[in-house]
Amino acid sequence: MSEPRPVKFRGGGFAPTSIKWIGPVVFIVLIGLLELGTQTGIIAPLTLPKPSDVLATFGELWRSGQLWLHLVPSLTRLLMGAALGVTTGIAIGIAIGLFSHIRAGLVPLVAAIFPIPKIALLPLFVIWFGIDEGSKYALIALGTFTPTVVATYGAVDNVDRSLIRMGQSFGLSWRSIVWKIVLPGAMPGILSGLRISLAIGIILLVAAEMLGAEHGIGAYILQAGSLYDLERLFAGVVILSLLGVTVSAVIGHLERRILRWRS
Amino acid sequence: MDLLVKQVSHRYGDLDVLQNVTLDIPKGKIVCLVGPSGCGKSTLLRLIGGLEQPSSGQIVQIGDPPDACLNPLTYVFQDFALLPWRSVEGNISLVLEDHDIPGHEAQRIIADVLERTKLTDFRAALPKQLSGGMKQRVAIARALAVNPAVLLLDEPLSALDSQTRELLMDDLLALWSRQAFTAVYVTHNLHEAVRLGHVIAVLSRRPGEIKQLVELDIPLGERSPDDPALQLHQQHLWDLMREEAIAADKELVDV
Amino acid sequence: MTTFTRRTALSLMGAAAATPLIGLPAYAKTKVRVGALRFTSHSASFVAFERGYFAEEGLDVEFKFFQAAQPMAVAIASRDADYAVTAISGGLISLADKGAAKVIGGALSEEAGTDGQKFLVSDAAYQAGATALSKLDGKSYAVTQAGSSFHYMGSKMAAKEGISLKFKPLQKVGAIIGALKSGQVDAWSIVPHIAKPLARSGKVHIIGNVADYLPDYQVTTVFTSAANAANERVKTEAFLRAFSRGAADFNAALVDKTAGDEAAEQMVKLIHKYVYASKPYEKARNSIINGAMRINEGAAMNAASIQDQIDWFKTEKLVKDHITMETLVDPSYVKAS
Ligand SMILES: Nc1ncnc2c1ncn2[C@@H]1O[C@H](COP(=O)(O)OP(=O)(O)OP(=O)(O)O)[C@@H](O)[C@H]1O
Ligand SMILES: [Mg+2]
Repeated sequence: MSEPRPVKFRGGGFAPTSIKWIGPVVFIVLIGLLELGTQTGIIAPLTLPKPSDVLATFGELWRSGQLWLHLVPSLTRLLMGAALGVTTGIAIGIAIGLFSHIRAGLVPLVAAIFPIPKIALLPLFVIWFGIDEGSKYALIALGTFTPTVVATYGAVDNVDRSLIRMGQSFGLSWRSIVWKIVLPGAMPGILSGLRISLAIGIILLVAAEMLGAEHGIGAYILQAGSLYDLERLFAGVVILSLLGVTVSAVIGHLERRILRWRS
Repeated sequence: MDLLVKQVSHRYGDLDVLQNVTLDIPKGKIVCLVGPSGCGKSTLLRLIGGLEQPSSGQIVQIGDPPDACLNPLTYVFQDFALLPWRSVEGNISLVLEDHDIPGHEAQRIIADVLERTKLTDFRAALPKQLSGGMKQRVAIARALAVNPAVLLLDEPLSALDSQTRELLMDDLLALWSRQAFTAVYVTHNLHEAVRLGHVIAVLSRRPGEIKQLVELDIPLGERSPDDPALQLHQQHLWDLMREEAIAADKELVDV
Repeated sequence: MTTFTRRTALSLMGAAAATPLIGLPAYAKTKVRVGALRFTSHSASFVAFERGYFAEEGLDVEFKFFQAAQPMAVAIASRDADYAVTAISGGLISLADKGAAKVIGGALSEEAGTDGQKFLVSDAAYQAGATALSKLDGKSYAVTQAGSSFHYMGSKMAAKEGISLKFKPLQKVGAIIGALKSGQVDAWSIVPHIAKPLARSGKVHIIGNVADYLPDYQVTTVFTSAANAANERVKTEAFLRAFSRGAADFNAALVDKTAGDEAAEQMVKLIHKYVYASKPYEKARNSIINGAMRINEGAAMNAASIQDQIDWFKTEKLVKDHITMETLVDPSYVKAS
């Protein structure tokens, strides 16, 4: 008989934990490497700009007030377009979730609109809604609308039927069931759909500002691209990334507040 | 208010679920429904509560519910069916909000049912913070809040462990002794049936029909868990059901 | 982008043309990729190719066609094309600043007496009273992108007229035409062979000549990668020689019209292979003749105009302040005026 020994542990892994410091470190190391590469000339100036130059460009944007000149119209467009697209998307999504006729009528339509690259419709929007803000709002609204609809009716479908049955068994009105059971029950799905919708909204910002925008982060990036000004191009891209991170953080905060009840 | 199930049959498509069920549910009594899996107990309860309509036959209401009754036929579900985003108090107020009840009156009702179910200290807790037994107590409190004429309970204790079940059964008995309520109580558990039922209806396997009605004369307050008379009844019920349960079990495997 | 090779035809022609020449250059059969847009203004290269001038210089030319000038400039920078003709834009200057591109000669230029680029207004703006350029104050002006040649022309015109314009970037010429016709933008400038048919439709009106505001404007230039300009002198000179012969033929046939009607017709037919190829000959003929602007003789360039453009880009903060003529231009190849 062999010696008594401890049982071998084999339960490790497969349990992701949040290690906060690794994310920033990856960023810093990557940017540091790029700085080194561009400083020493291993990376040609045509290939990538120096991160420090991008930072300087960003600082210049900030000091000259140009940042706000570009950021304010873009944020307005994102806010207006997304507000329009998301609210109608939630409304239509709930209608699809609740009424079989609307579902039968609209689900194929939404499925048909979803894969259309909205950018392709931009010239059409310019004719319909004008070359100024109208077409930009419309583009972002349509772009955020379809994912919101799909996320919302999926979320409504996933609301625990037994809760609805409970509401009915207590004689709650239809309105109460929708407002107090269906909507809050669909909220997690709607919010995670919102994450995707708003990211698409940010992507479409650049497309929306292709036509007729003097100012805006998208216009700034496009201009930098056409001037082959890599520092400005990257400064613009960094602003978009930051915008994305901010939007995601805001939704995360909303989720933690509104969905406190989730275990 | 009494209820009468009159020659009710029910089918889902080709599937006969209930056949010619006739059952009396007298005021102030607890009627237990037992029967093998899939025999149509839950279906019968849904029919009684008006959540579904029987294919043939009728559910008749004899007499009027009391005036203070907000929802005459009220369910308690096996899975509690609490809104996870509402607190204990919010879950109870949910079922009062659609009735024109002034705020202070609603507060009084909530306080009363919380007190009756020993939940007063958990008013503000969210369902995720509660144990299974506590959750079911909240569901019972919610049901009591609408002052029902008949409580319809579908295996209210089967999601709980046996100790908790024992405790909740005591609570139900205490509630009933304090203020006798009418109830239809569906269960798998014959021990629950003999502890709580004035009448126990034994259903056959699907299509469910009433195989036997067993009446227990011992007053609820005097039934103790280890009462030999109750154990005899339980044994009798099991003998009735045994064959059916085996057959039903095989049937399910065959499906 | 489409790639077009006529290497078989070329080798036949090259062989036929090269035989009588004594002492073929050592760089014979050098492969050269020429970037081009399907515009009449790019005809010098097409002529040089079709008439075998490139082959005579020992260049095995392959055209790379682009939809817009911008990606063509990038293709030069990335060494996917060797030579091309494009307007001076902020992008080109930035690429030159990064050591990727160099202007080596002139191509299209405005000149008094030859039909040049036009200023246009939409019918809506025209009816609302914008009948002269001086009346465009506060109106919108279409450009492809900030820092494009359209931006330069509009801005210089506005400065001379003492008016202010709102510049609307619309990315593509097609989008601009649509927006102009539907009255979404008020004004624009463009080469005559696009301007004139638009004006004939009645939806757009010609209200001025670019040449009146920018005399001797060096519209397009020949450019190449900085590496070619610095290290491939023989090849580059050969390209420019052939290009100039093509330009001379083109000017004689369609601009000065000294070569006679027969030669003009031949020239249009040659160009039609590349430009408006999808249109029937009769239709294309007019457009090609209308679009004929002078291509600089000997690929000479107007240094004053180029300097003016660089200065404008700098004042508009579209390019970096340290940029000079030397950054953009290699003056060692052609005459500068
Ligand atoms: N909505 C429905 N549509 C079709 N069939 C159904 C429906 N509801 C129940 N059934 C079927 O009817 C039969 C009876 O179901 P029911 O839930 O009433 O049985 P049960 O006695 O409550 O069973 P259990 O003891 O498992 O709870 C089952 O075979 C079930 O599959
Ligand atoms: Mg059941």
